[in-house]
Amino acid sequence: MTETLPPRERVDPPAPRGPRLPDIPGPVETLGLAWRRLRKMSTALVLLFALALASVVATFVPQEPVIARTVELWRAGTAGPGAAWARVLDALSFFDVFGSWWFLAITAALFTSLTGCLFPRYRAFARVVRRPPAPGRGLDRLAHHEVLRTALPPTAALDAAETVLGRYRRRRVEAVDGVAQIAAERGHWREGGSLIFHTAFYLLLVGIVIGHSFGFTGQINVAEGSDFADTTVVYDQAKPGRFWDAGDHRGFVVRLDDFDVSYHPDFTPKDFVSTVTILEDGQEVRTTQVRVNHPLVYRGMKIFQARFGMAPRVVVRPAGGGDALFDDRVLLTQDGPFWVGRAKVSAGNPSPGDGRDPVPQIALDLALVPDAAIVDGELRINSPEPRNPRLAASLYAGQDLGLGRPEPISSLEFPQSDLVGQAMLTPGGSADLANGLLTVEFPELDQWSGFQVSHAPGRRVLLVAGMLVLVGLIPSLYSYRRRLWVEARRDGERTDVVLAGVALQRQTAFADEFAEVRDTLEAALAGPAPLRHAPAVPTPQKETRR
Amino acid sequence: MPNETLAQTSNTLFNIAFVTYIVAMVAYFFRLAFTRVSVAGVTSSTVTGTRIGLVGTALAVAGLALHLVSFVARGVAADRMPWGNMYEYSSGMALLVVAVGLVVVQRRFGYGHLMGFLLAAAVLMMTSGLLLFAEAGPLVPALNSYWIRIHTSSMMVASSIFIVGFAATALYLVKDTGERRVAASGGDSYTGSTVGAARLTPVEPDARPEGYEADGALAVSVASPLAQREVLSPVLFPLVPGVIAALFTLLVWRAPVAAIIAGSVAALLGTAAWYAVPYLPPAAKLDNLAYRTIAFAFPIWTFGVMTGAIWAEETWGRYWGWDPKETGSFFTWVLYAAYLHARSTHGWRGRKAAWVAVVAFFALMITFYVVNLFIVGLHSYAGPGLV
Ligand code: HEM
Repeated sequence: MTETLPPRERVDPPAPRGPRLPDIPGPVETLGLAWRRLRKMSTALVLLFALALASVVATFVPQEPVIARTVELWRAGTAGPGAAWARVLDALSFFDVFGSWWFLAITAALFTSLTGCLFPRYRAFARVVRRPPAPGRGLDRLAHHEVLRTALPPTAALDAAETVLGRYRRRRVEAVDGVAQIAAERGHWREGGSLIFHTAFYLLLVGIVIGHSFGFTGQINVAEGSDFADTTVVYDQAKPGRFWDAGDHRGFVVRLDDFDVSYHPDFTPKDFVSTVTILEDGQEVRTTQVRVNHPLVYRGMKIFQARFGMAPRVVVRPAGGGDALFDDRVLLTQDGPFWVGRAKVSAGNPSPGDGRDPVPQIALDLALVPDAAIVDGELRINSPEPRNPRLAASLYAGQDLGLGRPEPISSLEFPQSDLVGQAMLTPGGSADLANGLLTVEFPELDQWSGFQVSHAPGRRVLLVAGMLVLVGLIPSLYSYRRRLWVEARRDGERTDVVLAGVALQRQTAFADEFAEVRDTLEAALAGPAPLRHAPAVPTPQKETRR
Repeated sequence: MPNETLAQTSNTLFNIAFVTYIVAMVAYFFRLAFTRVSVAGVTSSTVTGTRIGLVGTALAVAGLALHLVSFVARGVAADRMPWGNMYEYSSGMALLVVAVGLVVVQRRFGYGHLMGFLLAAAVLMMTSGLLLFAEAGPLVPALNSYWIRIHTSSMMVASSIFIVGFAATALYLVKDTGERRVAASGGDSYTGSTVGAARLTPVEPDARPEGYEADGALAVSVASPLAQREVLSPVLFPLVPGVIAALFTLLVWRAPVAAIIAGSVAALLGTAAWYAVPYLPPAAKLDNLAYRTIAFAFPIWTFGVMTGAIWAEETWGRYWGWDPKETGSFFTWVLYAAYLHARSTHGWRGRKAAWVAVVAFFALMITFYVVNLFIVGLHSYAGPGLV
C-alpha cells in the first residue's frame, strides 16, 4: 500500500470579488461540517491518539475498579502525589478513566467516525467488485511490460494465458484497436478485508454491551464444609449488569467439600483445588474439582477458583460452660508468613434493660502460623503447610470498639486498653481469657476457598468478532490490488504476446509476481513445441527488484 | 523439578552467545568502514570489508545457534515453555531479533548494513534480561496454562519484530534527514515528497561541502551520500540516544552504573548510525522495511491480545479488566494501528508516520518494562502473582 505518491497539486479556486457577507453556518450546516470532519482519516487518527493517551493515564494512575485500595491511599494523600493532586485527578475522573464521560465521548466519536468512513467505502467497494476487469490501453507505457513471441495463433495464445492467469479474475475483451485482450485483476481482498476488519468493531461493541448489560460477577469465600447458594444476598462483592436482576440467579447451592493446596519449595503455591458439590433442592447433582484455569460451568454460571486461606474454627463461651457466644470458622488472609483475621464476637448492648449490666462489644483478633518454630528467640518458618499450626488469639472488649460502624472489621483500630487477654492455641486447645470470664477454644483448623461466580453472555459474539478482526486484518495488510493484461497480435507467422501490469500497492511484491507470471506464460506459450530459439525480442529494461 | 545442570548450561551458553553477538556487532560496524557507495546508492565492499562482513555473519549465526540451544535448554530444565519470566522473555526476544535480522533483513532484503544495529538491540535486550535474572523455576498457578504457549509466544514474536521495525524507523528518520538536508543545500527545489528526498536527484558536484577534492568520477560518485553525513550533527547523534537510554535505565533500575553503561552503549550506537548514514539503504526503502515489519507484527500482536483475553477469562473469569498490563498492550496496539493509518493518510505519511511508530515503540517498552516492574496488577511477572 501507500508506496510513494507525489503530493497532489491543489488548485485554489479564484477568490470571489467584492465584499461578501461572512458565512455563518446554520445548525444543519454545522452538523454537516462536523460530520464531514469526523469522516476524515486524520480525525480518526487523532481519536486513536486520544484513546491511547487515555489508556496511558489509566496505566499510571491507579484505577478504582481495579485497585480501589491504592486509590483510597492516593485520596488520603498517604501514597501518590498528595491529596490536593488527588482531588484534581478525581475531578478529571482519572481514577476511573474507562468509566468516565470523556472516554465514552472518545469512543462514541471513534465509532461515529468509523460509520462515516465505512458507508462510502462499502458503496465504493460494491461498485468496484461488480465491475468486470477493464480493458487496458497504452500497455507499452506501463512499468511492467514484456513482449513474448509464440508460434501459437492469437486465440490459442490467449487460451494459454488464461490458464496461466487462473487465479485472477479475468475476461476476454477487445482493446481499443480491436486486438483481442485478456483483462485480469486480483486483490479485492485488500479492501474487502479492511471492511470486514473495521466492521468487526461494531460486533465487538455489541458483545461488550451484552456482557455489561446481562452479565453478573460475584465473589464469595467459603470454609470447608460450608456452602453458599447462588442468590443475590450471599456474595461478598457483586457486580450485576444493568439488566441482571435477582430472578436471574440460578439458586443452586455449592458446597465446598474439600480444599487442597500444594506448595513449591520457595513456599509459593503450586496448585490449589477445591472439591465442590452442587446441590439443587437439597439433591446432590454433581461433585467436581475447581482449580485455577479450570473453572466449573453449571447452568450458564462459571465458577472460578480465585483465592484461598486458613479457616480455624474458634469458639468463645462463658468460662465454665454454657451457650457459645461465638462458634464459627474465621477466614484468615495471608500477611507474609502469617494468616490473620478478625471476628465479631458480640455487637454489644449498652442498655439491655431489666437493670442488667451493659454488654460490651467483643472482638477476636487472630494470627496463625501454619508451621513455625522459635529458634534462638527468632521465629523460623518451616513450611507453609499447616503441619504444626499455632493460633494467637487476642480478645478485645470495650464499650465502643467500632463494631457498629460500617467499616470492615479488619480496618478498625482497637485500643490497646481494651485488650482483655491473649493466648497461643494449638488445635484442640483452649484458654481462659478476660480474667477467667471467657473461654476461647480452637477445636480444629480448616481452610477456606474463594470463588468468583460469573455469568458472561456475549462471549461468543466477542469470539466471532475477534476472529473477523483477524480474518479481515490479514488480507487488508498483505493483499494488494493489481491488474494484468495480455494482448495477442498476429505478426506474419508468429504471434506477439504482450504482458503488462500495474499494482496499486506493494510494488516490490508485484515485481516478483510479474516476473513469475512472465516465466509461466513463456513456458505455456512455448506449448508442446519449444520455441526457445525464436529470435529474442528486446525487452524493455526490467524494474530492478527491491 | 528444575534440572540444575541443564539450567547451568543454559546460562553459560547465554553468556557465550551474548559475547559472540557483541563481537559480531563490532564486526558489522567495522564492515561499514570498508564500504564504498555511489551516487545511485549502490554500495560495494572492499575485499577487507567483505571479509569482515563474513566474519560478522558467521559470528552472528554461531551466536544464534548457541542462543537457541540455551533457550531450549532453559525450557527443558524448567520443564515448561521458556518464557515464564522477564529474563526468559527478554532472551527469547533477543533471539528472535537476531533471527529476523539474519533471515529477513540481511538475506531477503539484502540490508546487511543494518545487522549491527539489530545485534545491538539484541545485546541490549539480553543485558536487561541479565538485570532481571531469575532462576529456572516453576510458574505461579495462574501462568500455568496452555494459553501461555499461545499468548505469551505471540506477544514475544510480535515484540521482537516491532523491535526490528523500530530500528528501521529510526534509521529511516536519520537517513531521511540526511537526504533532505543535502537536497536542500544542493539548491534542489524541495518538494516535500512523500518519503523523504529519496526521489530527488543527487546534488551536483559543486554543491558538496568543503574539504572534498573534485578530482574525477570517484569523488563525484561518493560526494552525495557522504554529504548526507556532513549535514548531520556528530554531537547530537550520540548525545540524544545516550541521554534517553541513561535516563530510562536510571528510572527503571535506579542503578547509576548500569545507566552510565546503557548511556554509553546508546551513544556509541548513535555515532554508528551517524557514521552509517551514507551506506544505509535509501530512506524510501528503509521506510518500506519499517512498514513491512510492523504490518507483519501487528496481526500477531492483535492475536496475542485476543488470546490474552481468552486466557484472562479462563483464569480470572473476565476477559478484560483494564489491568495495567492489559491497558498497556491496548495502547501499544492502538498506537501501531495509528501508525498504519498515518501511513495511508495524506499529510501524515513519511516522517510524521515514522514518529508515530517511534511513539508506539516507546509504548511497547513501557508496557514491557515499566508496567511489569512497577505497576501492581494481576499480570505480575516480577513479583508473586495474586493467584
Ligand atoms: C476502531 C479503531 C480503528 C482501528 C483499530 C483501525 C485499524 C486499521 C488498520 C489496522 C488498518 C490497516 C492499515 C492498512 O491497510 O495499511 C486500517 C485501515 C484503514 N482504516 Fe482504520 N481503524 C480504526 C478506525 C478507523 C476509522 C474511524 C476510520 C475512518 C475515518 C478508518 C479508516 C481506515 C481506512 C480508510 C483504512 C484503509 C487505509 C489503506 O489501506 O490505505 N479506520 N485501519
